[in-house]
Amino acid sequence: MAIASSEAPALPGSLPARRAIDAGPLATAWRRLARNRLALLGSLVAVAYILLGILGPIFAPYDYAKQSLLQANLPPLSEGHLLGTDQVGRDLYSRLVTGIRISLIVGFGITAISMVVGTAAGAIAGYRRGWTDTVISAIVEFTWGFPLILLAVLFAGTLGPGLTATILAVGLINWAGFARVVRGEVLGLREAEFVEAARASGLNEPRILFRHVLPNVLAPALVMASYYVALGIIVEAGLSFIGMGAQPPLPSLGVMIAEGRNYMLQSHWVTTVPGVAIVAVVLGLNLLGDGLRDVLDPRLK
Amino acid sequence: MGAYVLRRGLRTAIVLVVASIAVFYGLRIAPGDPTGGVLSPTALQEVRDAYRQRLGLDEPIWVQYGIYLKNLAQGDLGSSLITGKSIPELLGFYGRNSLVLGLAATAIIYAVGLPLGALAAARRNTAVDQAITGVSIAGMGVPNFWLALLLIYLFASRLHWLPSGGCCAPRQLVLPAVVLAAEGAAVTIRMTRSSMLEQLGQDYVRTHRAKGLAESVVVYGRVFRNALNPIISLAGLRLGWLVGYALIVETIFQWPGLGYLLVDAILRRDYPVAQFFSLLLVTVVVVANLLADVAYGIADPRIRHA
Repeated sequence: MAIASSEAPALPGSLPARRAIDAGPLATAWRRLARNRLALLGSLVAVAYILLGILGPIFAPYDYAKQSLLQANLPPLSEGHLLGTDQVGRDLYSRLVTGIRISLIVGFGITAISMVVGTAAGAIAGYRRGWTDTVISAIVEFTWGFPLILLAVLFAGTLGPGLTATILAVGLINWAGFARVVRGEVLGLREAEFVEAARASGLNEPRILFRHVLPNVLAPALVMASYYVALGIIVEAGLSFIGMGAQPPLPSLGVMIAEGRNYMLQSHWVTTVPGVAIVAVVLGLNLLGDGLRDVLDPRLK
Repeated sequence: MGAYVLRRGLRTAIVLVVASIAVFYGLRIAPGDPTGGVLSPTALQEVRDAYRQRLGLDEPIWVQYGIYLKNLAQGDLGSSLITGKSIPELLGFYGRNSLVLGLAATAIIYAVGLPLGALAAARRNTAVDQAITGVSIAGMGVPNFWLALLLIYLFASRLHWLPSGGCCAPRQLVLPAVVLAAEGAAVTIRMTRSSMLEQLGQDYVRTHRAKGLAESVVVYGRVFRNALNPIISLAGLRLGWLVGYALIVETIFQWPGLGYLLVDAILRRDYPVAQFFSLLLVTVVVVANLLADVAYGIADPRIRHA
């Protein structure tokens, strides 16, 4: 969760301020991000994860569910099995990339959708005020802060265990998080002088909101998104691990770890491979989030 | 203030009523039924139907809900369809275990999080700070079920120091409590550190230093106390997350708490148990959030007029 101040040491005061302004805010942000080595590492891990999740299953050497008892428990770097095989001889690399695709869908996909929905709801509530705000805020107040895992388990109880329950829970909780933050930002921005200027020059309200107000809330929303993606990945794996999420033989990373846990003494890699994948991407996303916050938060400049 | 509490309390009550109906309906329209957990898979359909009839599951759901409410009004919470144990009996046993685990985890969270966070802030940008920050980033990055497996592997399978699960000896409490506390402790370290750093930049700190107070008194006496406010106000939220994570941790360590009971009841479609304990956990979370809001409202008058 994202409650901490700048982790990066203060930047040397020699920022080429003029050039940075000329280059536009995005280029400035990118340059500052590239200087934060941990954040850069984090974004590289995230990009690698996305590529593996999209392309991996297409080029997977085996079917993720294909068993082969003669090839069981092969350690990583065995011939024909880069990451080895599990206790029933399924190729771990092929399973891993499918697992990554699942967590990609739950983590990135659902977060992207809830970011759009939450940002829109929060912006409208903060900008319009009045009863719109009252209704949206009341919903957000109760949704936000509700434990994701408990909600997912309740959905699993009503819809039957499966990825649908996990996806619904992640989406329903996360949009409220975005809405809450964006509403707060917009409340402040709608009184800002540049918005008043836009209003005075006769622009219509939607145009002011989308062209002038929203770009300014993108930064906090993006920072939040990187933490929420990590949270979504953890929750999906955790729920699948206890049997409430993806159901075998679908190789969610959590399912893979659960299936390998009884064989940890003989073939630890069956759980280590998916475990390391989760830890790497979650750490990477958290570092990226910390870096993004340092870079995008104008108050730190 | 009274009106504010009343308004929030009323809203909470509405949410709980809606949640109870949703859970009641949801459980019953979901695929599967409790006969699967009691009767053999080859049982005849007639046997299955007779069993469902005895449990009252052949009635329309709204009739079942009415009966449930009527029993509730008479103080009858129902009992497990599978083990026959009454809900209060289950609540006593599993509730106590959850309480023990939750309190142990909470103690670890703050006993580890507050001092380490304060230390990191006091020694900002030194090796000590970097080490503590590094550990806390790792603590947030490692999912608790994976941490649980690593600790079981190390302390139970390899070293044989601690049992890998079960209940309720103190030795069996150690691993689940540590795993349940890990993420919260990491977050508390980071929050304490940043909150302290924010306070350290305030004018009153300079005043204290200027009048010659020892640095340790300034940092650990004055600054630390002020830095606690945001952490206390988020304690309600932490409790909610603890309830959520307990579902996973109790299941892994087979610690018979409410989370373990709920997951098991949902998987076996034990309706009375599943619905009572879902609602109980939802109530705990919602009320904790409510109390946190009210406490915050008392501390900060700007909130309640918003």
